[in-house]
Amino acid sequence: MLREAFPCLHQQVNGKDLVYFDNAATAMRPQVVIDAVNDYYCHNNANIHRGVHCLSGRATDLYEQARGSLARLINAPSPDNLIFVRGCTEGVNLVAQTFVRERLQPGDEILISHLEHHSNIVPWQILCQQTGARLKVIPMNERGELVLDQLDELMTERTKFMSVIHVSNALGTINPVKELVAKAHAKDIPVMVDGAQATPHLKVDVQDIGCDFYTVSGHKMYGPTGSGVLYGKATHLESMPPYHGGGEMISKVTFEETVYNKVPAKFEAGTPNIAGGIGLGAAAEFILDVGIEAIAEREDVLKLYTEQALKTVKGLRILGEAAHKSPVFSFLIDGIHPHDIGTIIDHHGVAIRTGHHCTMPIFQFFDVPGSCRASLAFYNTEQEVDILVESLNQAKAMFS
Amino acid sequence: MTDLNKLYKQQVLAHNKTPHNYGEPDHWTHHAEGLNAICGDQVHVYLNIEDDVIKAAHFAGDSCAISMASASMMTELIAEKTTFEALHLFAAFKQMMSAEGLDQAETVLGDVACLVSVKKFPSRIKSALLCWYALNAAIHGQATTTTE
Ligand SMILES: Cc1ncc(COP(=O)(O)O)c(C=O)c1O
Repeated sequence: MLREAFPCLHQQVNGKDLVYFDNAATAMRPQVVIDAVNDYYCHNNANIHRGVHCLSGRATDLYEQARGSLARLINAPSPDNLIFVRGCTEGVNLVAQTFVRERLQPGDEILISHLEHHSNIVPWQILCQQTGARLKVIPMNERGELVLDQLDELMTERTKFMSVIHVSNALGTINPVKELVAKAHAKDIPVMVDGAQATPHLKVDVQDIGCDFYTVSGHKMYGPTGSGVLYGKATHLESMPPYHGGGEMISKVTFEETVYNKVPAKFEAGTPNIAGGIGLGAAAEFILDVGIEAIAEREDVLKLYTEQALKTVKGLRILGEAAHKSPVFSFLIDGIHPHDIGTIIDHHGVAIRTGHHCTMPIFQFFDVPGSCRASLAFYNTEQEVDILVESLNQAKAMFS
Repeated sequence: MTDLNKLYKQQVLAHNKTPHNYGEPDHWTHHAEGLNAICGDQVHVYLNIEDDVIKAAHFAGDSCAISMASASMMTELIAEKTTFEALHLFAAFKQMMSAEGLDQAETVLGDVACLVSVKKFPSRIKSALLCWYALNAAIHGQATTTTE
């Protein structure tokens, strides 16, 4: 069974079998990813793109193969469309500062949605402060779906960029990103999609979506922390100035001038997270091997089971019931604060996240300070869902 | 008793269910808001200080049972104490919750000492401390504070 491939799942916490339902915060890593990282350090440790020696050649090949694996995973036209970054957060900041910034005049607008993670809000607020541009927000409804009726009014001639989340980390909502991109492109608005919660659960095809940029977070898709890629259309990447200056991103430096390296090296200053990139490549291969369709199918079954099971808990309210969603459940229980629930069920071995999940505006919408969030992955089981429900009932008994 | 039952002991659950001195009073002289950014706990502390004596203490906010119970018990403990005494109690509570610990905590802190069981749950210590930080801030005329 695939579950066996994830060593960290198999342990006890607080004397109970671990039930890991915090996958939206960070997923577990399969042994192949751990081995890839380990192998690099044990057998191929060297800097990349620099040495004539054997190990440097091997490390460079592994790193570039990883880029190729990620390109296949998201169907990018070429590995050169991908820039290695620390994660989605860095991807957004890179695009904000190198692509969007020079397009903005005071009074221009950037469009995001109410479902965004703070990492797709704050970089734009910083940019707005730097340029005098304004942030506009696509609203959401009670089910946690985006309301697209007013899209025409929200996309004005002043809208210079749109950045939207593909799958909500807080509510699980899967947004119609292809449709959003088409609407924006009809008005010549370039679009970035935050794919942090998408690549672990759904088939992502950046060419089909048609977006200009797409961010991938390694640690959400069974890869190492501090790894990720930013996809960009080739014409954009060619025209953008570099993000960070330093080694690796140059082809010639004199004290008078610097000639930048070609894409994607132009954006990869300094020694990168080599082990992380190689591990992320292994994670992409893992997903390709298992098949994202098989993952999605299994998660759909788990999602329905979990929804039914949670609904048996009296006084439990699920926040976010979008028609299309991933196996993420934000919920509240009458009379018990989420942190108390989190502490109590941790005692039963169940790991969930409590709080605002880096999406404070979503909880301002629902007028609550936060929620409990159980986020599942394909390696979770129905039995684990039963344990969650049982532990929630125990929490209720304690507070009754 | 399991650690969990020690954490959510009857006293704590009772204060959570019917907190004492809850809600913003009509009259207060000092106020501060305590925020725990990571878990989102929020506690407002309102003091009515006359001649350096805390005549009344109230609290409000939306937070977990540990934070609610701690604030409820704190407002009872500090009533009719001088601000100096209240700050002394803050220091004593902090020490009780630290690795060092506080001898004879019950003599110094009364009922509040029962919160020592929170120490078994390091991720929750800040919940218990939040109202005390807000108290300290209110006495010193600061509007907001955090346990970070
Ligand atoms: C939807 C979403 N976007 C962005 C991020 C940030 O990603 P990263 O941790 O890779 O910077 C996260 C996770 O924290 C997320 O869930």
